[in-house]
Amino acid sequence: MIIDIIQILALGISLGGVYALMGSGLSLVFGVMRIVNLAHPAMIMGGAYVAYWAFRLAGADPIAMLPVAVLILAATGLVLYKLVFEREAQSARYSEMTVLLTFALAMVVEGLLGAMFTNTQRITSPEYATDAYFVGDVFVPKGQLFAAVTSVAIISALALFLKYSRFGNAIRATTQNREAAQLLGVNVNHVCLVSFAIGVGLAGAAGALVSFVFSFFPSKHWEWIVILMSLVVLGGMGSVLGTVLAAFILATASVFVGFYFGATWSTLTFFVALFVVLLVRPQGIFGEKPELA
Amino acid sequence: MMSFLDAQDIITARRTYNEGLTQQVDSRRAAWFPLVLLATLLALPALQFVGNYNYVIHLILYTACYVVMAAGWNILGGFAGYVSLGHNVFFAIGGYFAGMILARYGISTIAMAPLAGLVAGIAGYLIGLITLRVRGPSFIISSLALVMIFRILFENWHFIGGAAGVALPANELSVKWTKLPYYYAFIIMAAFALWVTYRIRHSKFGLGLRAISKDEIKAESAGIDTRFYKVLAFAISAFFVGMAGAVWGEYLTYIRPNIFLVILVSVNMVLMCIIGGKGTIAGPVVGAVLIIAFNEVFVATLGASEINVLATGLVMMLTLIFFPLGVVGTLAKHNRLPRILNWD
Amino acid sequence: MANLLEVRDVVAGYGNGPAILNGASLSVQPGKVHCIIGPNGAGKSTLLKAIVGMLRLREGDVVFKGNSLKGLRPDQVLRRGICFVPQERALFPKMTVRENLRMGGFSMADKAALENRIDMIEERFSILKERRDLPAETLSGGQQQTLAMARTMILKPEIVMLDEPSLGLAPKIVREVFKIVQIMSEEGITILLVEQNALMGLKYANWGVVLDLGRTLFEGPADKVLGDPRIQELYLGGRRAA
Repeated sequence: MIIDIIQILALGISLGGVYALMGSGLSLVFGVMRIVNLAHPAMIMGGAYVAYWAFRLAGADPIAMLPVAVLILAATGLVLYKLVFEREAQSARYSEMTVLLTFALAMVVEGLLGAMFTNTQRITSPEYATDAYFVGDVFVPKGQLFAAVTSVAIISALALFLKYSRFGNAIRATTQNREAAQLLGVNVNHVCLVSFAIGVGLAGAAGALVSFVFSFFPSKHWEWIVILMSLVVLGGMGSVLGTVLAAFILATASVFVGFYFGATWSTLTFFVALFVVLLVRPQGIFGEKPELA
Repeated sequence: MMSFLDAQDIITARRTYNEGLTQQVDSRRAAWFPLVLLATLLALPALQFVGNYNYVIHLILYTACYVVMAAGWNILGGFAGYVSLGHNVFFAIGGYFAGMILARYGISTIAMAPLAGLVAGIAGYLIGLITLRVRGPSFIISSLALVMIFRILFENWHFIGGAAGVALPANELSVKWTKLPYYYAFIIMAAFALWVTYRIRHSKFGLGLRAISKDEIKAESAGIDTRFYKVLAFAISAFFVGMAGAVWGEYLTYIRPNIFLVILVSVNMVLMCIIGGKGTIAGPVVGAVLIIAFNEVFVATLGASEINVLATGLVMMLTLIFFPLGVVGTLAKHNRLPRILNWD
Repeated sequence: MANLLEVRDVVAGYGNGPAILNGASLSVQPGKVHCIIGPNGAGKSTLLKAIVGMLRLREGDVVFKGNSLKGLRPDQVLRRGICFVPQERALFPKMTVRENLRMGGFSMADKAALENRIDMIEERFSILKERRDLPAETLSGGQQQTLAMARTMILKPEIVMLDEPSLGLAPKIVREVFKIVQIMSEEGITILLVEQNALMGLKYANWGVVLDLGRTLFEGPADKVLGDPRIQELYLGGRRAA
């Protein structure tokens, strides 16, 4: 019994580490730009394919390929921002408009990936992906653990950047009060551009890690959307720290549900959690605003 | 520097200034056009006497099915401004309710459609009580979550056939006439849905919904019971989507989660309303015709479903960026709307 | 003496909506406290937003020290020396008081000089020093207004524009806020103030401007504005001068 609980915690925390990185870019972009980027999981998928093909064609280690995935996706983010989102800043129903736009963008990415790589299930398989550490009777899959550690390192670097750098402060200021930041000399458009690129870049990083943790195919991102949204909503939209904590809580809960009721229901944990949070505390754990319109 | 001599002058000037701020609305319409269109569609199956026009019948039926759904979606998404990406849940509820009754007791789904719509409407009311507590992006996300939850539930519920679904008996008419009951059912439902949206738009209820869409807090302080209004709008829109689902299952002769609970179905509803013009009466019709024509051309020329997803996404992005008001809305804004499309 | 800032026949509005400002003009003289009064919806806040570049000018021009500000973004206008404190006080609620002050000097390149300025501001407004490590959202309304106004002084701007600094504050606190206005003025900062509380605003101002119907109806020395019977009837609560 105790062993079970330790096992669940070990799996939950390492899984949570992966989800935390998947959700952090989403949260950052929402915080700064008030864009719910429904295409974020599709972009994670893009990062996963970068790592997958690098591994398959050149045998490159997915963790080593992470910076490449970040760069490719961040560049995509820059282009998308310039082409699509910059002009929407003037839109009257900005937040609704951008959700629909990113939704459409998600379909475009899915369609592109599907047309290029087909809907076959893929997974990157470096040696550690199928290995595990044993501590007594408790086991931790090596792949998940490596991914979680990498993810926590990246998130910590992001947090330090936001707290202590000048540009990070500008990002935080824009998140908290866009108008005030602008009036104090912050070029808000520039902050949005860079934040969006960072956010999409984080999707690339998450993709490289996800590629050896989960099997994936282009249309799987729909499932991820709702999982990641549940993290972001529970964490209080726009709070990166909240998202990270929510990732650990919900991942552990989903492992718990999967352990006792079967794998089908473990994903349902996230969806139901999303509903319960909306019902009980729509602003999430750390959120302040009662609504996000 | 004081350009007015008298306080009274300023008060008068202020009144004309304020009047200048309200915009003029064009209210010309051609009421005969929708009626002629309806009569033509009702008479159209007579073509079957002179040849085989099953494909045409199928296309119109398919379009009408989406008109029912898009018009229903429009009540919540267009009037009240609550964009739902999960309305196919009600499509599934209606389809499964009527489909299971057909499979078990042999009662036609067309007869059961109103009841199936009602069941979907009640489900919509209950779900709305929860999800309408939030708005904007959170609402959109919750609607997506709804699809995921229902998909998992339906795929694991053995009574309704799980992921494999349930086969439904086909009707006993000959190939030439077999589509007609569904054809008429969808045409009549579409006409009914449009009539209801028209009535809602011109009612106090519709005014309340539009107030909610503009500014919910102000609407509430103006004495509108916003919570009841929007939950009711949710229920009515679910009703229509559920009704369409009921008949759609029998038309396809099977019900299965991956027909009803795929994201493309709900996207189509939203996309039709946006392309046609959200919140207008004719919008869903224009949008449905355009999207289905577009789909036919695309599927016929390129086939693969990935390409279809890609193309649908691209069309949606381009429309949102360049014509956020849709065909009807954009034309109306420039005073170019042909009278036959002004159904408001 | 030449005007520091000139607003010339400005037409502006929100999005594609109707024009809120219909040819508003204004001249700001160096060193003085200017108070703009007018009824709700007259375009007072809109005028400030148009000056600072938050709204596009459809027509007209804004000229600061001989250079047009037309088409500049708010952050660029700030670098020219104009600070704007909007109605909502524009604080960063989750950031500490000190971090908020530091954001006030975001456009300063010299970090040491910035920290120096912040120390000076903290000396002058002791409440900000006491609360320096608390999130700004924990401050009271008056303290928040103090922070927002004090923060503008970090950059030593030439003009500070305040949009209804007294909004939602108790009368006693309002007097404190206007004391800060006086302090700023004594530092040589030119003030442009929008006030709903017209009597209070004009009392502390040297120059009064009446804005209505989207344009300037009258401007003159503050005491003359206060004394004009037409203005009293229309904008100051209808008390006719005896």
